[in-house]
Amino acid sequence: MIQAIRVRSQTPRYRWRIVAGGGLLLAVVHTLLLHRLKLGDFTPDLYSVFALYLGLFASRQGRYVPCLVLGLIRDFFSIGLIGSYGVLFSLLHKAAGRARGKLDPDKLLNVFIMCLIGTFLVNFGYHGMLVISGYGIGWSRALVRCASIAAASAPVAVLVYPLAHMCLHRLGVGRAGGYWNI
Amino acid sequence: MRRTQEKLSLTWLLKHPLVATCILLALTIVLPYLRVGERLKLLTFLPLAHASGEVSETPYEELSEDERIRIDLQRERERVSELTAENSRLAQALKDKNALGDPEFAVTPLPPAVNAQVIFHGDSSSWRHSCWINRGRESGIEEGMPVVAGRTLIGRIFMVGDDHACVQLITDPGFACSCLIVDPDNADESAADRVRGVLRGDGSSMPHFPRLELEDVAVGAEVKPGMHVITNDYSGQLPLGLTIGVVRETIPQAGFLEVRIEASLDLSTLEVVQVLQHKRPELEEQALALLKKK
Repeated sequence: MIQAIRVRSQTPRYRWRIVAGGGLLLAVVHTLLLHRLKLGDFTPDLYSVFALYLGLFASRQGRYVPCLVLGLIRDFFSIGLIGSYGVLFSLLHKAAGRARGKLDPDKLLNVFIMCLIGTFLVNFGYHGMLVISGYGIGWSRALVRCASIAAASAPVAVLVYPLAHMCLHRLGVGRAGGYWNI
Repeated sequence: MRRTQEKLSLTWLLKHPLVATCILLALTIVLPYLRVGERLKLLTFLPLAHASGEVSETPYEELSEDERIRIDLQRERERVSELTAENSRLAQALKDKNALGDPEFAVTPLPPAVNAQVIFHGDSSSWRHSCWINRGRESGIEEGMPVVAGRTLIGRIFMVGDDHACVQLITDPGFACSCLIVDPDNADESAADRVRGVLRGDGSSMPHFPRLELEDVAVGAEVKPGMHVITNDYSGQLPLGLTIGVVRETIPQAGFLEVRIEASLDLSTLEVVQVLQHKRPELEEQALALLKKK
């Protein structure tokens, strides 16, 4: 208990380095690597996986604004409307907070389910924004694509989240109540 | 309990970033002509464009012998690469011309082109398709200009900076252009008889791409696999006769015909492209052109 209070009272560590560095790294991965793999609609949405990680495991101060900033970084590297992913990732962190109360995110099956639903919702929301701009591709086709992206992203989350936990532990970041002090 | 009144100020917006982002998003949607987002993005890509070369601060005379030789070699290499690109463009144009028989659009000269190198492939969103090139306003490039490889359409300039520009690819959901379907075996077909349709990107990528779809093709139109799809200058947005692909299959739908096209190029492997200095005519010019046609 005392240790948990001590960890919570510590100043957050590596927050902006993780968000900015991770955001830029994912921009490179998405733009330069993923499209070369030619996975079609079955391409994982790594940004959403990362935003969900922040929403599930970051400290109270490390969720909302970092998710928003991550979304804005993604918007900057896309020709879409600026702020689209910013808003969607902010909403994702809210949804992740609620889901956390019902499902234990330290279990891999729960991570899989949460990532599947979270990624689906983000992409479906993005298509909704495309529809508002007049660029929709049709709801049935969009549903299939969102499901494909979600199906590709969920296994990635199951692999990456334990690795991320390990990295943060190695970096000496404290953890209390299941939240990393970032 | 008295509630403190908060004024809408910059400090308040910084404390509520979601509201600020929503305002930014709303401004981008409601006032598209301000192009707030585009301007910010161009600034983001400026260091990348500078890093791609061509920005030499030191005057040539002040450089050492070694540096001069290196720069000369670099210039020669760029010249060779430009000439190679020009050669491949002309070869492709000749190939397309031969493939289409000899109708009037195949012999129509294209507007002058600016060679450009792709510096950044892809888009961070899996729904949008774009790339960045190392030529901008300083090279005479403007928004809306068509981007081609040879005589094959790749996309159009979406936003332009001084020495870099963003290209919206034909597979992007925001891309749409008027097209004609041409039968290469029937080159004498009159312009009025050609089937028209609208090419609209759907954000799909490989292995779905290079499969594009043509919408709004009239039911009963005679469209067969193997026919060529080219751009139409109906709205003046693009020059007539840029190749898009070949018809692969047609699927009858309620009220229209869905035409699937095998695209001529794999966009993800492009290194050098050409920007056609084609300007969309003003409304009055378009009206005059239509009157002349009648």
